[in-house]
Amino acid sequence: MVPAPDAVLASRPPGTSSGTGHGSREQHRARYPDITGFVERDGVRVFYEVYGSGEPTILLLPTWSIIHSRLWKLQIPDLARRSRVLTFDPRGNGRSDRPVSVDAYAETEFAADALAVMDATRTERAVIVSLSLGAQRALLLAADHPERVAGAVFIGPALPIAPPITARAQIKGFTEPLESDAGWAKYNSHYWRRDFRGFLEFFFGECFSEDHSTKPTDDAVAWGLETDPESLILTELAPGLTSRDEVLDLCARTRCPVLVIHGREDRIRPHAHGEELARATGGTLMTIEGAGHIPNVRDPVRVNLAIRDFVNALAGGGA
Amino acid sequence: MITDSRRTTWTHALGRRRRALYLSSPIGLGHAQRDVALADELRTLHPDLEIDWLAQHPVTAVLESRDERIHPLSAELASESAHIAAESAGHDLNAFQAIRRMDEILLANFMVFHDVVTDGEYDLVIGDESWDVDHYWHENPELKRTAFAWLTDFVGWLPMPEGGEREAYLTADYNAEMIEHVERFPRIRDRAIFVGEPDDIVPDAFGPGMPLIRDWTERHFAFSGYVTGFDPAPLIEGREDLRRELGYRPDQRVVIVTVGGSGVGEALLRLVIASYPDAARRVNGLRMIAVAGPRIDPSTLGAQPGVEIRPFVPSLYRHLAACDLAVVQGGLTTTMELAAARRPFLYFPLRNHFEQNRHVRYRLDRYGAGRCMDYATSTPEVIAEAIAAEIDRPIDYRPVETDGAARAAALIAPLL
Repeated sequence: MVPAPDAVLASRPPGTSSGTGHGSREQHRARYPDITGFVERDGVRVFYEVYGSGEPTILLLPTWSIIHSRLWKLQIPDLARRSRVLTFDPRGNGRSDRPVSVDAYAETEFAADALAVMDATRTERAVIVSLSLGAQRALLLAADHPERVAGAVFIGPALPIAPPITARAQIKGFTEPLESDAGWAKYNSHYWRRDFRGFLEFFFGECFSEDHSTKPTDDAVAWGLETDPESLILTELAPGLTSRDEVLDLCARTRCPVLVIHGREDRIRPHAHGEELARATGGTLMTIEGAGHIPNVRDPVRVNLAIRDFVNALAGGGA
Repeated sequence: MITDSRRTTWTHALGRRRRALYLSSPIGLGHAQRDVALADELRTLHPDLEIDWLAQHPVTAVLESRDERIHPLSAELASESAHIAAESAGHDLNAFQAIRRMDEILLANFMVFHDVVTDGEYDLVIGDESWDVDHYWHENPELKRTAFAWLTDFVGWLPMPEGGEREAYLTADYNAEMIEHVERFPRIRDRAIFVGEPDDIVPDAFGPGMPLIRDWTERHFAFSGYVTGFDPAPLIEGREDLRRELGYRPDQRVVIVTVGGSGVGEALLRLVIASYPDAARRVNGLRMIAVAGPRIDPSTLGAQPGVEIRPFVPSLYRHLAACDLAVVQGGLTTTMELAAARRPFLYFPLRNHFEQNRHVRYRLDRYGAGRCMDYATSTPEVIAEAIAAEIDRPIDYRPVETDGAARAAALIAPLL
């Protein structure tokens, strides 16, 4: 039984903006949403989109608020030909609000937003797809709300389940002033306030480590500029999954089918994270040799076909 | 295609008709005409050939008028022409950035294409500037399951000066990726055809320290010559009859202004229409016909007494062949139709459009055809002066090839 929507349904024509997010010159889309709206929880408004009408519903979760739901622009038009597709902008970016308290960015809030969007769109159950940090909210949903999750696809999951990359681990003190701005020292609140674009260019350069990635990098930097350093600093300070035991417990409680897709050359979250998540959930691991952190953008054909196959297998298996 | 998975059919290989899937780029109106000409030549060589078209507006308009088979999944393609229109402003279209910003549409359309070839039992895919298929088959070579013939009328993204160093870097990077693709996977393009001759290729390199475009293209392409899609000879020989048929009197000097089928070009139409009074003072009997196309509202163009504004002209190429002078954008198809029909013309490349400003202009210069105009500095007076100067110009163009479609078909036919 799907709860009655308690959220505000504010459908608007494609291309109009609530005043924040999705840039003034967003490129022409392959497909525009059939329904858009906002859900509101504790005064925070979250913007969502609905595409298509087929079964099952696929919920493309937001990742870290450094970018918004356009992250899925290469998946939406393809998946929506067969399935109903939901996306929403994370609090802190896109057309969603930018709350000013740390607690508003807790992982549990993102998971609750996902449930609110599902309720508002009368979605009983969905296949959830996540990228990077989105793995945390995805895992919370899969473990704690098994009746709402038919299956989970994790792409480049960011979970404290394996050692981080060495160069990143060596930098301590996110809120302390550092003497250097070199490399991962840019992952620092003082640097973000000083040169936010510089951080975005560094970070997405690491994400898209493959040759010939200028367009994905430019897109991501532009989406990053739709938020601001203060909002992003709050996301970094907010409570998330921090211990391996906590993650393993969530994995053990995850009963739905799981597919993990991880690039072998991921410079943000090592491939070992994907391996470990697949092992702990009993899921399938698809390794993309040569790929970096965001294969759904850099290898969209392969990833779309993998998601299609995963969804088809769920239907065939009576899930 | 909706299929019942409980019922399947498989046909013995030797019992199958030859089948091709044809993709014709919807960017610009010109591809459709040359592609149906090529399809006709292929059917002559393989009478049992069945061709499906995966196509969208405006190509579908041409195909429907010929009762060609349009694949039903064509309806699921995302519109490329709407994107290009959205990327243009006034007489300005950065064509490289517009294609680059079309990544989402190209990927979406590739996925539709993938479903079509997976289900279709095609022997051959013909892609006339089907950028999505060429790029993503090179990126996912295991998905290729038919022969592939690739056609294009230009090779190499080129930077425009306003794009600065960044655009120069980006175009070189796009070219480098394309070169790596083709050299690593020669099995993707079973036949690559340059619609033109080696002399049509710009003298530039792909980028700093990179090969010359001409050298590389000569190594990796076959050449069909230009494909007009129609035989200009009867139009040239029968021009007086054609003028009578179209209602152009002998004492009239007919100028046709046209910007193709897209919404891009309204600004140029308005400017040329504004030049009419001045031009009419300089040229006796001047009659100007402005073709607005289906996407431009004629009432926005600033009507002038003496100028006829028409929303649509069927078989425009016949009017172009009959006119005394044409004023057009810098697109390849229309300018080459005029070159083939041996008519004088002024052409205005869209600002920041690398193909019109570099590739097309280079080719037209080789044919000695047309006068290139700069939109930014062309006042109505400048245009009137150019109309008067060009309208009686003796035509000494290099003749345009008439066997391009047959040559291209002969290059492709062995794949079937």
